[in-house]
Amino acid sequence: MRWSIEHKETWLHQTNPTVKLLLFLPMFIVIVFVHNPNVLINWTIGFTALFMLFSGYRMKHMLLFFVPFFFIFISTSSSMILFGKGETTWFRFGLIHVTEESFYRGVHLGFRTLLFAIFGLMFALTTKPVFLFYSLMQQAKLKPKYAYSFLAAIRLLPIMLEEFQTVHQALKVRRAAKAKGFRGKLELIKRYAIPLLSQSIRRAQRIAVAMEAKGFTNERARTFYYEMTLGKYDVYLFAVICMIVAMGYYVADAFPYVPIKDVR
Amino acid sequence: MIHIEQLRLKFPGAEKRLFTDVSLSIKKGEKVLLLGPSGCGKSTLLQVMAGIIPRSVDVPMKAKALHIPKQVGYVFQDPDAQFCMPYVDEEIAFVLENLGVPRAEMKEKIDRVLQRVRLRLPHVHVPIQTLSGGMKQRLALASVLALDPDVLCLDEPTALLDEEGTKAVWETLKEVASDRTVVIVEHKIDHILDFVERIILFNECGEIIADGPTDHIFSMYRSFIAEQGIWYPEVWETYEKPKTAQQPYHPSEVLLHVQSLRGFRQKEEKIAVADVVIRAGEWIAMTGENGAGKSTLLQSFMKLIRTEGDMYWQGELVKNDEVLYDNIAFVFQNPEFQFVTNRVDEELAYCLRLEQRSEYEIEEEVERLLRRFHLSAQRHLHPYQLSMGQKRRLSVAASVTERHRILLLDEPTFGQDAKNTFALLEWLEAYRQQGKAIVMVTHDERIVSQFATRRWIIENGKLVADETIVPRTLVRGGI
Repeated sequence: MRWSIEHKETWLHQTNPTVKLLLFLPMFIVIVFVHNPNVLINWTIGFTALFMLFSGYRMKHMLLFFVPFFFIFISTSSSMILFGKGETTWFRFGLIHVTEESFYRGVHLGFRTLLFAIFGLMFALTTKPVFLFYSLMQQAKLKPKYAYSFLAAIRLLPIMLEEFQTVHQALKVRRAAKAKGFRGKLELIKRYAIPLLSQSIRRAQRIAVAMEAKGFTNERARTFYYEMTLGKYDVYLFAVICMIVAMGYYVADAFPYVPIKDVR
Repeated sequence: MIHIEQLRLKFPGAEKRLFTDVSLSIKKGEKVLLLGPSGCGKSTLLQVMAGIIPRSVDVPMKAKALHIPKQVGYVFQDPDAQFCMPYVDEEIAFVLENLGVPRAEMKEKIDRVLQRVRLRLPHVHVPIQTLSGGMKQRLALASVLALDPDVLCLDEPTALLDEEGTKAVWETLKEVASDRTVVIVEHKIDHILDFVERIILFNECGEIIADGPTDHIFSMYRSFIAEQGIWYPEVWETYEKPKTAQQPYHPSEVLLHVQSLRGFRQKEEKIAVADVVIRAGEWIAMTGENGAGKSTLLQSFMKLIRTEGDMYWQGELVKNDEVLYDNIAFVFQNPEFQFVTNRVDEELAYCLRLEQRSEYEIEEEVERLLRRFHLSAQRHLHPYQLSMGQKRRLSVAASVTERHRILLLDEPTFGQDAKNTFALLEWLEAYRQQGKAIVMVTHDERIVSQFATRRWIIENGKLVADETIVPRTLVRGGI
């Protein structure tokens, strides 16, 4: 079974995962405190361009990734637009009440979720879990105990997915894959969950024992197979983010798309 | 090298002590096999020798003297539960990191251990997920060699492997371990008898009843070994199969007829069969390499995966999959996945309830099944609390009901000891005598030659041979 999507290795893949995390995480907070929709629109354009140009994935795949987020965009913004408060009424029909203020607030909210999505996708698609945890151990001094536990857990996921399919087939053969009513559905969840969980718990315990049998302890100082360093690409990423953020503010001020500067 | 004196050990919650004053010592360079019935504590003792108990697994134990080596290499049974990294090179690097080997030396060391276990890969950065079971176990051996231990402990490393993988693992081991101390726990011992020089024999109470050179133990304790269900080399020669085995069944009406059946996984065609008929009273053994499409063919018969082609049940075109579920039973490789209730007797009643039988009738039938499959004493237990052999029996008993005419089995004897295997084969033979058909995936040539009436060979997703097996009429004597 194929679990990875083919892609090129670009400079975004070469950046240090810890640096990437430290640059992206504050952005999530900053975005929440920006209330000018012009700025958010500019940032969305800027970071989408960065993602599309340098993530190394095919256009077809990238557009597919965006499909769910597009729906979230529509749903978050539309609920705000249709049922929001405001003074300048554009349209009113029963419960639906569209005002100028609620419209801009809705659009603003939509772009906020879209930006979250872009940062999330950009991080997930350009960072290998193994590199992330190696980097966290080396740059952020994460304890190996936690890092390798996560890595071992990641390895279990595809195995669990295959097991899920097997359990589904096994239950189908015994005509136990369907159930009626609320109680039946609850019973069904148990039927799937118990074999999957019991299998995973036992496997996790065995892996833990195997890891210690291979000399994994907290006592010795360890070396690292992958050396994660800081490089020029981290500087590039920092510069690009600063530039998009600054340009976003400048363009919003010089050429605003919407006449509102604060949606609150 | 290893010296244990008067070891006492008891699992928390267990009624009895597993070991009472067990003493043994193993000299440097010795190759030792621990042999005994399942549940006698061989694996536990191996873990004590390796220091896993009590270091990683906390079990209360006491010993008058306990000398175990500092660095022990341990290969476990389950190929999917001993790696923590996604790629081959990363897994071996994990061991080197633990030892504090400088980064610059890692690449060379990784190549060297992979070469030693003869794991030839196009590239060291290969996902472990894509390796076969036998290759995974050799990778486990490679990562253990990276530790450079004085003692190698092997806990049934081939129990979950097919014949080919088993052979490859033992061949590799014989090469790399000739100069080390090796302690092995294993049930399938044909491949290692020429390698081990000393056998320690246990009884079910965890007591050592014999300890000596391999030949001596085998000549002195043969009947004891046979009783314990251990797979020793001549086990098939001394086994007396049911007289009905391989005798043709009449009338052999056609049950299932498939025409140009094709099975797909993710749009990819994995199996194609042109024209095949399954008759009542047939025992079809399906053989072929790993990944050839044997299990996929079984799944196609039940339409568990996407299929194309026509199927006829007793001459009538199958339009509704329900017809297949009504008439064909399927026993999966891992019995646990098929259990749907919390109790053994409930498990047996489940399918009967679906048939809307009266409660009285169901009770009678459950009683009969419990007796037939020797599960009466376990009727109140949760299916997960059963032993390997009991779980297998329960999964067969619970899947099969009167109305089923064909029984599909995916390697049912996998990981079972000799005793359980023969019991299952005998039950299947009796079942066949009721005019049912059996289609079973197996790697065991002996089962094919002793029980099957027909053999299918699958290669690269195609049925390449379909032959009738003529029984050899040989008179066999006992021991």
